[in-house]
Order: sequence, then C-alpha cells, then structure tokens
Amino acid sequence: MKWIRAVLWAAAAILPLIAPLFLDRGMLNDLWQLALAVILASAWNLLGGFAGQVSLGYSAFLGIGAYTTLLLSLKGVEPFLTLPLGAVLAAAFSIIIGLPAFRLRGPFFTIATIGVAEAVRVCASSVSFTGGSSGLRMPTGSFNFNLNYFSMVILAIAVVATAAYVKSSPFGHGLAAIKQDIDAAEGVGVNSNRFKLAAHALSAAMVALAGGLYAINFQYIAPTSVFDFRLSLSIVLMPILGGLGTVIGPILGALIFSTLQIKLLSIPLLRDSFLFIYGGLLIIVMLYEPDGIVGVWRRLAPVRRIFNAS
Amino acid sequence: MQQQLVSVILSALLAAGLYATMAYGLAVIYGVMRIINLAHAGLMMLGAYVTFALFSRFSLDPFAGLIIVGPFFFLVGVVLYRIMGSRLTRSNVSPSIESLLVTFGIWLVLQNLAYVIWSGDTQSILTSYTLKSVKILGVRLGVPSVLVFLASVASLIFLNLLLKRTYLGKAIRAVTQNRDAARLSGVDADRISATAFGLGTAFAGIAGGMLSTMQAFTPDFGRSFLLKSFCIIVLGGMESVTGVAVGALVLAAMENGLAVYTSVPTSLQDAVSFALLFIALVAFPQGLPSLFTRFARRSFR
Repeated sequence: MKWIRAVLWAAAAILPLIAPLFLDRGMLNDLWQLALAVILASAWNLLGGFAGQVSLGYSAFLGIGAYTTLLLSLKGVEPFLTLPLGAVLAAAFSIIIGLPAFRLRGPFFTIATIGVAEAVRVCASSVSFTGGSSGLRMPTGSFNFNLNYFSMVILAIAVVATAAYVKSSPFGHGLAAIKQDIDAAEGVGVNSNRFKLAAHALSAAMVALAGGLYAINFQYIAPTSVFDFRLSLSIVLMPILGGLGTVIGPILGALIFSTLQIKLLSIPLLRDSFLFIYGGLLIIVMLYEPDGIVGVWRRLAPVRRIFNAS
Repeated sequence: MQQQLVSVILSALLAAGLYATMAYGLAVIYGVMRIINLAHAGLMMLGAYVTFALFSRFSLDPFAGLIIVGPFFFLVGVVLYRIMGSRLTRSNVSPSIESLLVTFGIWLVLQNLAYVIWSGDTQSILTSYTLKSVKILGVRLGVPSVLVFLASVASLIFLNLLLKRTYLGKAIRAVTQNRDAARLSGVDADRISATAFGLGTAFAGIAGGMLSTMQAFTPDFGRSFLLKSFCIIVLGGMESVTGVAVGALVLAAMENGLAVYTSVPTSLQDAVSFALLFIALVAFPQGLPSLFTRFARRSFR
C-alpha cells in the first residue's frame, strides 16, 4: 500500500509540471489558481491544523508579500528577487502579532486575529503608498505567464513537502501536542510559545511568497483585493473542508474550493453571494464531521475493508 | 472649549447607548452558552433589513418597527438554537473553536442570503426626522441618534429588570455562573440556553434596526460593529452587565475624543478600535472591572 501512495504523490507533483504540454492557457490559469489555493491552505494548516490555533488574519501576510513585491518592482527591482524580502517581512510581522496574541487561547486568539487583520486592512486603504482604494499596477513589460505558472506550482510542491516533513518531525509532534492539550504539552517540555511562533512565522513566510507571485501574475493589487476579509476566510475554509491537521486535507479542500469558485463565479446570480455555499459547508462540516473529507474517508474504513477482502 | 467638551461627552454617551445594546446580545449568549457568536454581525445586518422592509412595504416607522423586530428575532434565535446550538458541545470552562466556526458559517449564510434578496446596493431609511436635529445643553444632536439612545436605554432597562426580577433572569444568571450547579438545583439549562440565545438575537436585531436609522447599510454591514461589540465585552469582562455599560462608554468616549482632540483621520477610527480590541484581549483578559478590583485589593491591604 505504501508504494501506491508514493506513486500517487509523485504523480500529483509531476502532472502540473508537464501540464503546459497538453493544456491550453485557460486551463493553466485555473491550475495556477489551484496552486495558489494549495499554498494558502497548506501553509495555514501548519498553525491552524497542526497546532489548532485558528487564525482569521492571514490576508495580512498575503498583502504584505504582494505589496513588497509590487512597491519594489515599481522602484525598478527585478520582481522575483523581492520575494524573499516579502517573506521575511511577513514572518517578522507574524512574530510581532504572535508574541502578545499567543497568550490568548482558542476562540479568543481567533477574535484577536480578526481585529489585527481588519486594522491592517483599514490602515492599508487609508495610507497613500498602497494606492488607496484604486490600487497599484505592476510596471509593464515584465510579464511571462509560463515563468509565473512554474514558480507557483513549484512553490506549491515545496509547501506541501514542507508540511509533510513538519508533520512527521519532532516540531510537528510538538504542535500536535499543543493542539491536544496545551498545558500537558508544556508539562512534557514543549515550549508552546516558541513552537506556535515558529509555525506562525513559517506559514506567514509561505503565504507572503504566494502573495508576491500573485502580484507578479495578477499585475494589479489593491487593499480591497489582498487584505479582503473574504480572503482570510477562504484560507481557513479550505483546510477545514478537507481535513484539519492532515497533509492531504488542505489539498483536497483547495481542489474543491477552486473548482467551486470557478464554477460559481460564472453564474451571475451567485457572483456576489458565492460565500453562501461556503457558509453552509462550514456549518455542515463543523456540526457533522469536524475532520472534513479526511474524516469521512476514515469513517468509511470498514466499508473499504469489505471491498478489499472480496 | 468647554462647549466642545460637552459635545464630546454627549455624543459619546449617545453612541455608548447603542454600543451597549449590541454588546449585550453578545454578552448574554457568551455568558450562558460560552459561545462566541460571530453570527451577531449577520443578525444585526438582518435587523437593519427587516426594519427597512417594514418601513418601505408598510411605511412603518423604524422605531415602532422595533416592537416587531424584537420578538421576531427572539423567535429566530430560538429556532437557530434548536437547529444548531444544541448540537454544539458546551463546556463550563472555555468556548470551543467549533462553535465559533459554526456561528461564522451562519453569518456567511445570512449575509449572502441578503445579497440574493436585497442585492448589494446600499440602502438607507429616510424618515421625516432623519435630517432634523435638536439642541441639548447647547449642542446640536441628530434626532435619530437621540431616539436611538432612548430606545437603547429602554431596552437595557427591560433587560436589567428581566435579569434581576424574574425567575428566568435568575436562571440565566445561575447558568452563567455555573452551568452544572444550576442544573443540579433544577434549572432546565437547555431551555434557558435557548431563551438566552433568543434574547441575544433579539438584541442584535434591535441594534441593527436602530443602526439602520442612523446610517446606510449593505449586506456586508455589521462586521465593524461586531468587532466593536467584542471590544466592549472584553473591556467589560465578558459577563457582567455593568461591565458592558462601562466598556461601551470607554469605547465611545475614546472614539469621539480621538475624532475631536487628535488629528487621527476618521477613516482610521475603526483601526483604532480594532487595535484597542487586540490590546484589551491581551492586556486585561478579565476586563476592566477585574483591573479595578485588583487595584482596590492592593490599595486596601
């Protein structure tokens, strides 16, 4: 069974890399979006899923990454070279926020992150260097879709690989201990504060990298697009839908989410109200199967055994 | 100078009345069920739209409409509780992240339902007195905000009487203090929870209806008020009735004071209250009242 799993993972990594050979530009664009969704969901899952600290403020990190890249590109720096700086800035911001916020537990942490993200959004829309409500545009002449596509896909693969590595590392076990019982984790010697800060910084950096790539490919950003509350919400929804705290969960969630997104946005009536369906999904998942699709799959284990036996 | 101070104090007081009404709904639900009700924002929005519908369809005065909106939202809350609330695990110690996410889902559903029904256009209620103002203590105040203040005070007095004088109120306070102990002494905690959820929802609806007389609204309306309500109940210590009033006053005074005495642009005002929420959560998680008692204990020892 183990080698089947390895082959499937390898195929999932290789397929998007050879996709440009046989897919057209529109499909590749959808795949680019899927890769972005996978990065956001998997990165969020490091803190939200592995360590159980649900943050509703991740749009801030995407925005920091996107604005770092765009503002420096306008100054004449090569866009791809700005990505590391965005990641470092986002990680630093995550630590500044995390130091006080991680003293809060459970839902109170979540509320605090909403407050931070909203404050960042309001500030970003009222200062002038973000372009205010009209936003900013990338300098012309630097667009290469193939390069953008490959860099997003490779980042997605790297993020998922990191998540898989973290999951089985001592760091990941520490995070899992924090999720189950933070006091007990402290009792067996896990420095919960340092673990949470590290997970927060790591995931913030990844999200900021994706934000930079987003700015490069989208060519236009505004506080209302990158600091949007709905974005933070979508980031949270994907891992919950797929299965919190697993490696495959966020990928499944992202797959469903971006498919739905593309389908729903093409229906005029739902263009404003597609979150209706996400809200419904969130209620159903939380009430009936908090482990998402992975949880359903696990529940079906007895059924699968019957099929395998026959 | 003195005139300016009077005006700041008066407008802070008027704002505090409304803030307290919206925060009480959140506090009652949190107290009894240990649920952080994010759907509060959606319910406030719905309150505004129901008031608007009553006004435009039946030309019912928005303040008279509150008499319908209140009981209607009470029922909505009880139904919501029966569908969802009772499935959520309730612990006496701390709120669960699951309940937060479920109420978040409810908020999203409500918000986008409103998009489908009323579209995303900005709506407002224009009555004959919307643009009128009165002079109190030499300060010009808008008639709607004065009426909102009076209605808030009335509903808060009602709530206070309910909590202090009736069996229901006693039961609510008992469950808030200790759910298990209340059940041991024969309180039907499930029914009390349903009632409390209804009460909280009714207050959300009333607050939304009152807000609709003062400003324009869209289905996205309510989020900043939700965060402000949180700020208030965190400042006020989560459960105590006086605490909420204190929290509302502190927030309103700060907002109005900032607008008048500092050069912070009004567009940044919300950011200030969100930052205050963050600081309040981190610095005094037990609320301002605990700060006072701690201080008092230290100085009287």
